[in-house]
Amino acid sequence: MQPDEIARIHEEALAEAREADSADALEAVRLKYLSRKGLVQDIMASLKTAAPADRPAIGQAANRLRAELLDAVNRRREKLAEAAETSGPAFDITLPGRWPGLGSIHPVSGMIAQCADIFRSMGFTVADGPDIETAFHNFDALNHPPGHPARDPRDTFYLEDGTLLRTHTSPVQVRYMQAHPPPVRIIAPGRTYRRDTPDATHSSNFHQIEGLYVADRVSLADLKGDLTYFASQLLGARVQVRFRPHFFPFTEPSVEVDFSCHVCGGQGCRVCKQSGWIEIGGAGMVDPNVYTAVGYDPEAVTGYAFGLGVERMAMIFHGIPDIRLLYENDVRFLAQF
Amino acid sequence: MKLPLSWLKAYVDFDDTPEGLRSKLTFSGLEVEAVETIGADLPGVVVGEVRAVAPHPNADRLRLCTVWDGAAEHPVVCGAPNVETGGRYPFAPVGTELPGGLRIKKARIRGEMSLGMLCAEDELGLGEGHEGLYVLDAALDAGTPISEVLGPPEVVFEIEVTPNRPDCLSMLGIAREVAALYGKPLKAPATDLRASAGPVADLARVEVEAPDLCPRYIARVIEGVAAGPSPDWMQRRLTLAGVRPINNLVDITNYVMLELGQPLHAFDLDRLAGPAIIVRRARPAETMATLDGQTRELSPDMLVIADAERPVAVAGVMGGADSEIADTTTRVLLESATFHAESIRATSRALRLSTESSYRFERGVDRETAEAASRRAAALMVDLAGGRLAEGSLDAQAPAPAPRTLTLRVQKARDLTGMDISAAEIQDIFRRLELRVDRADDASCTVTVPAFRSDLEREVDLIEEVARIHGLDQVPSPPPEVRVVPDADDRPFWHRVKLREALCGLGFREIMNYSLLSERLLADTAEGGREDWAALPNPISQDQSILRPSLRPQMIESLGRNQAYQNREAALFELGRVFRRDGGGAAETERLAIGLMGRRVPEDPGEAFLAIKGVWERLASHLHVEGWSVEPLGADPAWRAGHAARIVGGGGAEVGRLGLVHPKVARAWRILGPLPVAELEVAPLLERAFGSPMYRPFSTFPGVERDVALVVAESVRHADVLAAIAEAAPPELSGVDLFDIYRGVEIGNGRKSLAYALWYRSPDRSLTDDETNRMHDRVKSVLRQRLDAEIRED
Repeated sequence: MQPDEIARIHEEALAEAREADSADALEAVRLKYLSRKGLVQDIMASLKTAAPADRPAIGQAANRLRAELLDAVNRRREKLAEAAETSGPAFDITLPGRWPGLGSIHPVSGMIAQCADIFRSMGFTVADGPDIETAFHNFDALNHPPGHPARDPRDTFYLEDGTLLRTHTSPVQVRYMQAHPPPVRIIAPGRTYRRDTPDATHSSNFHQIEGLYVADRVSLADLKGDLTYFASQLLGARVQVRFRPHFFPFTEPSVEVDFSCHVCGGQGCRVCKQSGWIEIGGAGMVDPNVYTAVGYDPEAVTGYAFGLGVERMAMIFHGIPDIRLLYENDVRFLAQF
Repeated sequence: MKLPLSWLKAYVDFDDTPEGLRSKLTFSGLEVEAVETIGADLPGVVVGEVRAVAPHPNADRLRLCTVWDGAAEHPVVCGAPNVETGGRYPFAPVGTELPGGLRIKKARIRGEMSLGMLCAEDELGLGEGHEGLYVLDAALDAGTPISEVLGPPEVVFEIEVTPNRPDCLSMLGIAREVAALYGKPLKAPATDLRASAGPVADLARVEVEAPDLCPRYIARVIEGVAAGPSPDWMQRRLTLAGVRPINNLVDITNYVMLELGQPLHAFDLDRLAGPAIIVRRARPAETMATLDGQTRELSPDMLVIADAERPVAVAGVMGGADSEIADTTTRVLLESATFHAESIRATSRALRLSTESSYRFERGVDRETAEAASRRAAALMVDLAGGRLAEGSLDAQAPAPAPRTLTLRVQKARDLTGMDISAAEIQDIFRRLELRVDRADDASCTVTVPAFRSDLEREVDLIEEVARIHGLDQVPSPPPEVRVVPDADDRPFWHRVKLREALCGLGFREIMNYSLLSERLLADTAEGGREDWAALPNPISQDQSILRPSLRPQMIESLGRNQAYQNREAALFELGRVFRRDGGGAAETERLAIGLMGRRVPEDPGEAFLAIKGVWERLASHLHVEGWSVEPLGADPAWRAGHAARIVGGGGAEVGRLGLVHPKVARAWRILGPLPVAELEVAPLLERAFGSPMYRPFSTFPGVERDVALVVAESVRHADVLAAIAEAAPPELSGVDLFDIYRGVEIGNGRKSLAYALWYRSPDRSLTDDETNRMHDRVKSVLRQRLDAEIRED
């Protein structure tokens, strides 16, 4: 075969490959030239009859044709595939995604974990105690004399043997101090029980987070500083802490703790009922009688304790209007947290 | 405790606004819970008499009223639901300006002329009430200025007195605090007495048979009194304080109680047998009629005031009907006594009778106040009821305890409060609180505690006084001092946090149920083990009467509730404590419940079972629970037959159960399809969780997959196949997956085909085809032998 004829075949082949308008047409082009009975093979076959001097040139031309055509076919194939992908109706990318979703953590345990995490950063560890308590741990050791109104069976659930459903998480203080010498720096989240008739803000079953720090020289100022840090980590750096004097049997002095409203910054809004402050819990310096009850020397240690209402915090921070929503377990509620 | 500020001002002259006082009191420990304004200065507003009410022609909710103001009738359109013909209401005629700045104008409301307005509480600035018109006494004359009816505006605080401060259950007690806070003198009421009748000992006698319950009993006698209305100023103060005036004699006892905090009782001396007062314990089965008209059954642990014959009062709680002051009373025996707080509390509870008197005695009334109050009330009876005071008093008292002295160390006060306060400031605070400073220097201060401050028992109590009067806003707020206690271990808590997160990752939502539930729910969910239930002797309701023995019943209830709410699916878990009866008490353990409801639960029971089992397997794998197995659960009314299992831990103990709820139970919540739940013990679940698993090397050489399909009898279980494979398996077998189960006629009745993919992989080389085939053939042959399996070759 003459070089000019090879050149013509070369050009035609590339042109046909470029112009093939379907995968089938392209395959036909490939077969026409590159198959075992294709034109490239014919060129190679013509080598036998060609003059020996022409053979190298013919061979090279055939090889170049094979390589370039293969390349052209491949490129054309990609192009056609691409075109096929983009042709037809566009895929609806707004369809809902498909992958199993995550669940959710209950706002009460979420609140507890969030608080525990902040207190952990201050060196507190989490302690635990039973729901069923003795009167000693729940009342006596916490300076509630016999006959104290809170001990009345109208306010506290008792079992037949005189044990009771703890009315606060404070007995964990007692248990922990009985088992560990000072210093003590713990928080104790847990379930508590009171004989309250359920309504929008009361439940006979709720959660508290107890805090206790006892060491050689702990002051009311440490309590304020630690709670201020806690408030800032929980709600933002601008939140302030304020104390109001109060009375609890197991702390002296005792205070009620308010946070400045995180929503309005203290100006007054619906969340804080226009007061600028939100009552968050009770606190105080551990009463010396408690130290005596747990076997600590009241002259050797001082410390503070606090109790935070978990449901109350969750309701305020999430804007939940009714405590019963927390125990209804409706997924339309749960899915929001 | 209601505190009319005008009354307070009788004892202490402070110069502050109500808001300022409110803040001072709240931040020194007397929280002002509410502020109320009683009375009003409302120029122009008069008593209006509604003479006719007719419907408004153009508005359903409005009425056309004809209001008489004493001079003329006015048409008034009114929207209040409580307007009635003949009623008296505050009427603001045209031209009046109300406290909110609203000026009443001639108006046409929905086409009807309205000349003036009938007012609700909020419109007069008297409170927040806007549910209807402020209803006035129907006997009032129309046209009377409203200010005359309501009196001048008075601010009344509602104060929360904490149980440690019984001294503040009185005007004088609060005045003492106010005086200390503002540094003003306290003006105590005069208690001068002038006797004008014979000696009291000739008129009556007092015997205290139970001095343990009655440390002091003072009686005075006033003769020649005339019962009648008390003066306006006293009636007004009582009314502002929330006490209804009755007559001068009763009012005086109430007035002095409010003023000084000492409950008093006035007996009609002529109705006392003896005449004697005997303070004793009640006799068995003794009864008496109390002032409220009820007959009370008394018991010997109750203290009574008796005359020579019978009880005439439940001591410190309520007087008796028989000896009550009446209009005819001329001779009064006035009781001012101190009773044991515990005893009064117990009696009040037992009788379910709480009074202003018992409320104060329960908290504690001091013995010195008894004398002051007796003198004060006697003086008022002389002044206001025209009485003649018998000379002297009958004062039966146990020896008085010595006044308490306490020493405060200045440094201790500074250390405990963190406040920078000087010895001089501390002494000043004590003096302002009427603590007598006996000795003081820079290091300490010794004080004598007055009788009315029985709450001050220890140094720390004095420190509290210093802190609250100095002001808790003075407590600094230093940044936290991070202190780590080395041996503290709270990993269990954080493991549970991680467990919750893992379940959340599996798509489950955490729920929370009460620890108390109803017997009904336990029955509805076929919960067994009734003998282990711990029931409360004093439940608040039957709905919450049993400590939950299991999380399963409430899980089913929660799933059912979501179905009832038309939620399309619910995948829930709860982590919580369960309780088992233990003697007369209860033992608690922690469990995890999981449940599935709705569109993602397969309809086929087997598939539904595998769904919940899959959750368990994922969880077990995540928590590194190993060596567990499942065992079939026998017939159980709680679980669906054949679709429930016991999960047995590596040690052989049951760690939980999973499966489908019995259809009969599920139907109670209208759930007709499979309802998969699981309940697991938490402790074994977390034994190895979140530890540090050891790395196990894996092969970097290519693996080879070989499939095997075997036809076996229906009785051959997947676990049997795995066991047979394990027996034949070379070390190179790295994985087995069941990928198909098939039943069909060509296989034969009672048989099934199971298809497995087996993975072979060597840790140190590439396997050849021949090697792999030899291994696989050996597996196949063992399967044939052990399981009577027919291997299907494709």
